[in-house]
Amino acid sequence: MTRSLLQLRISVEYARKRVLNDVSLEVAEGEILGLVGRSGEGKSTIALSILGLLALKGGRCEGEILYRDWDLLKLHPREMRRLRGKDIGLVPQSPLAALNPNVRLGSQLKEAWRAHERGEPDWKPLLESVSLPAEESFLRQYPRNLSVGLAQRFLIAMAVLHNPSLLIADEATSALDTITQAEILGLFRRLNQSRGIAILYISHDLASVASLCHRVAILHQGEIVECNSVDEVFLNPQHPYTKQLIDAIPQLPTVGASAMESGLARR
Amino acid sequence: MIRALAIGFLIAVLLAALLPARYEKQFRDSPNAGPSRQFPLGTDDLGRDRLSRLIYGTRVSLLLATAAALLSCAVAAALGGIAGLGIADTVIVGAADLFLSLPWLFLLLMVRACLPLNVSPMVSVTITFLLLGALGWAAPARVVRAAVRKLSVSDFMLQARATGCPQWRLLWRHLMPNAMPILLAQLWITIPAYVLAESTLGMLGLGVMEPLPSWGNLLRELEGGGIAGHPWLLAPVLLLAAVVGSFQAVVEREDYSV
Repeated sequence: MTRSLLQLRISVEYARKRVLNDVSLEVAEGEILGLVGRSGEGKSTIALSILGLLALKGGRCEGEILYRDWDLLKLHPREMRRLRGKDIGLVPQSPLAALNPNVRLGSQLKEAWRAHERGEPDWKPLLESVSLPAEESFLRQYPRNLSVGLAQRFLIAMAVLHNPSLLIADEATSALDTITQAEILGLFRRLNQSRGIAILYISHDLASVASLCHRVAILHQGEIVECNSVDEVFLNPQHPYTKQLIDAIPQLPTVGASAMESGLARR
Repeated sequence: MIRALAIGFLIAVLLAALLPARYEKQFRDSPNAGPSRQFPLGTDDLGRDRLSRLIYGTRVSLLLATAAALLSCAVAAALGGIAGLGIADTVIVGAADLFLSLPWLFLLLMVRACLPLNVSPMVSVTITFLLLGALGWAAPARVVRAAVRKLSVSDFMLQARATGCPQWRLLWRHLMPNAMPILLAQLWITIPAYVLAESTLGMLGLGVMEPLPSWGNLLRELEGGGIAGHPWLLAPVLLLAAVVGSFQAVVEREDYSV
């Protein structure tokens, strides 16, 4: 059994309304854990809780979030800030909105670097690792010049800049078209295999979870109703909600079954 | 097209305002003269050249309005900024609402009337500047507050926080560059409002004091029906209207028509 990287057990309230009820999750070193649930079930709340940014949305988190040897909920804000971006990276849902519209890409990258380190490294290997053009002219562009796919790659580059141990991908592929989505999923897989970065992959899209993750946790009405290996969850779902989610995966009318099979086989 | 014309006109007015003008020199032989080659806009009761006074008055009015707008926008940026970040929000918004609920012009008149009236021209300029600057912060402060509030919960600020960006860099590198255009727009629309406010005060004798000219006190000549038979007295009014209109025309407008 690999060492546990992140272990949490939390309850969250927004304005006295409980949205997460004693949710437990565990991510091992180098593992990709899928977190699945419908919109509004509190998936992003878990991401914000781990990053210590829940207060921005007016939420209150109780319980414990163990990351390596630290309880993140008891960490001093200054130490928490040092952890963000350096040890735990975030890949957001809306790539174009997540980049500062008035700052050039190069400056944004430099800003993210300077949050934790001095000087300025060679950006080339980083940009190449996420299949972005490594030219100077690319870094001089503004976010409005980018397509959604390029912007998401750029944000992934920013998230892995300091070689974090954990990457939180919060609906990172939901806003992308299917081809770009497949490319980004491939990129996550590569980062996981080559650098050993563990990924908490939050999504409402079961198909992408099936193609990427090692294990899946299903979140329903503020609770984890099922957490198991991908094969187990897809082939032998226990909870009625999980069955409902799997049944809801869209299929092509005639070739649906065979396409599904080949999709699972490819994984 | 209109925008380019407006910009051109404002630049021309600014350059003209820098022309040398002996606003206080009296030509005692020809008081109340009509337009002539020597005095294109005639002379006033005291024999002073109206064109020179208009040129110098333009300089005084525009400088005063711009300086006062800078002052109130600086106050607005500071108060609106910290309120937008959630510090003393209720107090600042309450104060701004209180200021906005008072009729601005009456407030100006009342506060000005409480201050000494028989003062030197330079002191009168300073008082008018401080008065406009101090009383006009509320509207821009609300706009800045709303912008900062919206920006501070925006996706890119959240993302910057998630990269571990320290608080001051978050403000300096992410918030400021995005709030700046909004503040500059507020500054730009405040200037013509203050030009008009100064003119109103001046016309009532509560603004810039004689012998220093300003658009406000030049308009005093229109009091008591002096306009009849002397259409050239309208020159300051036309200039005032054209400048205020040009300021508005320079602002780019979104076309909301479908």
